[in-house]
Amino acid sequence: MKARRDPVRPIIGLATMLALVGFWLVGSKVGLIDPQSFPSPDQFWAAAKQLTIGDGYADGRIHSHVLQSLKLICLGFFTATAVGVPLGLWMGWSRKAEALINPIFLLIRPIPALAWIPLAIVWLGLGDAAKVMILWFAAFVPSVINSFTGVRNIERPIIEASAMLGARGWNLIKDVIVPGALPSIFTGLRLSLQGCLTALVAAELLGALLGMGKVLYQAGLDIYPAMILAGMVPVALVGFALTALIDWVERRSMPWRANH
Amino acid sequence: MANIVLNSVSRTFQREGKDFLALDNVSFTCHEHEFVAVVGPSGCGKTTCMRMAAGLEFPDSGSVTVGGKVVNAPGPDRAVVFQQFALFPWKTVHDNILFGLRSMGVAKAEAAERIATNLKLMNLEGYESAYPHQLSGGMQQRVAIARAYVLNPDVLLMDEPFGALDAQTRTVMQEELLRVGRANPRTVMFITHAVDEAVYLADRVVVMTRRPGAIKEIIDIKPIRDAENWQQYERIEDVMDLASFVHLRTRIWRLLREQHNPGDH
Repeated sequence: MKARRDPVRPIIGLATMLALVGFWLVGSKVGLIDPQSFPSPDQFWAAAKQLTIGDGYADGRIHSHVLQSLKLICLGFFTATAVGVPLGLWMGWSRKAEALINPIFLLIRPIPALAWIPLAIVWLGLGDAAKVMILWFAAFVPSVINSFTGVRNIERPIIEASAMLGARGWNLIKDVIVPGALPSIFTGLRLSLQGCLTALVAAELLGALLGMGKVLYQAGLDIYPAMILAGMVPVALVGFALTALIDWVERRSMPWRANH
Repeated sequence: MANIVLNSVSRTFQREGKDFLALDNVSFTCHEHEFVAVVGPSGCGKTTCMRMAAGLEFPDSGSVTVGGKVVNAPGPDRAVVFQQFALFPWKTVHDNILFGLRSMGVAKAEAAERIATNLKLMNLEGYESAYPHQLSGGMQQRVAIARAYVLNPDVLLMDEPFGALDAQTRTVMQEELLRVGRANPRTVMFITHAVDEAVYLADRVVVMTRRPGAIKEIIDIKPIRDAENWQQYERIEDVMDLASFVHLRTRIWRLLREQHNPGDH
C-alpha cells in the first residue's frame, strides 16, 4: 500500500486531534481535569480573547508580541545563515579553509546557544541585540555543519566531471557546489529555524518589553495557566508557518526534484 | 597531434596500510584519430590509465602526455565519458550539454548550433528540457556522450561507458559510436572489460594483466577489419558472426584466461 495515496491516514490524524480536544472539553466539564493545573476551555477562551481582541497581556496584544518575536527570529536567522552557509560551503570545498576554521568551529559547536546568554548580556546589555546574538548562535551551528556535509557528500564523479568540463571559480560554486549541496543546506536551514524558535523563548526571559516568550514568562510569574496555553498557540503557529515557508522555497529552488 | 602517450607509467596505491603496485611499467600510445580499447580483468588498472590521461590521477613514475604535453590537470581539451554517466542532476539535458561550452567561452550562437547538432546525433531531440532522472539509463548515457562530443575534443576518454546499460541498449550505443566515429574520427581511449565490444569498436586492443597491471599484448584489429571489410555490415551481430571477428575475440579471450590462476576468483 502506498502511504501517500492512503486516504485513511489523514482521517486517523484528524480523529486523534478531535479525540484530544473532546477529552479536554468533556474532561474539564466533569472534573476529570483539574483547572488549576490545566485550564478549562472557558478559561482558555477568555485568555485568548484578552490576548487577541481584549486589553492585551504583558504590555501588548498578540500582534505586537508576534511581530517583535518575528523580528528577532528573522534578524538572528538571516544574519546567522548568511554567514554560516557560505562558511560551511567553503570549508566543504577547501581543505585549507577547513584546517583554518574548523578548530574555532569545533570549540563553538558543543556550546548550547543558551550558554551565550550571560556573555550576551555583558556585551550587549538587555536589549534586542543580546537576543539576536543568542538566536545567531542557535542558527549558526546547524547551517555550517549541514552546508559542509552537503558539499562533502556531492558524488565524486560529479566533481570530476565538472573539473573535466573546465568549471572554475564562480561558475563552479554556482553550478556545481551550491546545487549539489542544496538538499543538505535546506536541512540545515530547517534545523537553524528550529534552533531560533527554541532560543527565542529563553532569550526573551532577559527582560523583554514584548515578545511571545515574554507572554509565557509573564503568565508563568502570574501563575495564569490559561494564558500560558494561549501564549503557546502563536509559538506553534509561527513555527509551523516559517517551516512551511522554508519547504516552499526548497521546492521552488530544486525543480529537478519535482517528480520525486 | 592529438595523441595519448603513456610512457613507462607505474602507480602504487596504499590499501590497508600496505603498498600495492597497480600499474607496472605500462607503455602504449593512442595515435591521432585512432580508437584504442583497453581490456583487462577488474582491478588491472585500466581505468587508472584513462584517469591519468584525464588528469584526475598522476603516475608515480613515467609520464603521460596528450598532444605532446604532459598532463597535469583535468580540462575540457579532453572529454571524458564516465561509467556512472556523472550528469548534473540539477541541470536539464540542454544545460548539461551546454556546461563545458560555457566554461570554454564558446559564443552563444555557436553553442546553440553545436548543441542542436549533437542532440540530433544522439537522438535526443525533444528532451532538451528534461532532467536526467526523468530519462532511461541509455538516454542518460547518450546525454553524457553528447556532453563530451559537443566540446569537439581532439581526445575522447571513455570509461566502460556502456557497462551500466542493458544488452539491447548497449548494442545500439555501440553501433552509434561506430557510426559517429566514422563521420568524425577522434583519438579515443576506451576502457572496457567486454572483449566483444573492444574488437567491434577498436582499431587496436591493449590487453592488460591483473596485479600488477601490465600490458600483456597489443592486438591490431584495423588491418583485419579493413581486409575483411567489416564496414559493409550495419549490424553488430553480422560482424560478430564473421570468422575473422570470432578469431580475434577468441585470441583476446585466451590472453585474458591465461591470467586466471587456479584458485583465483
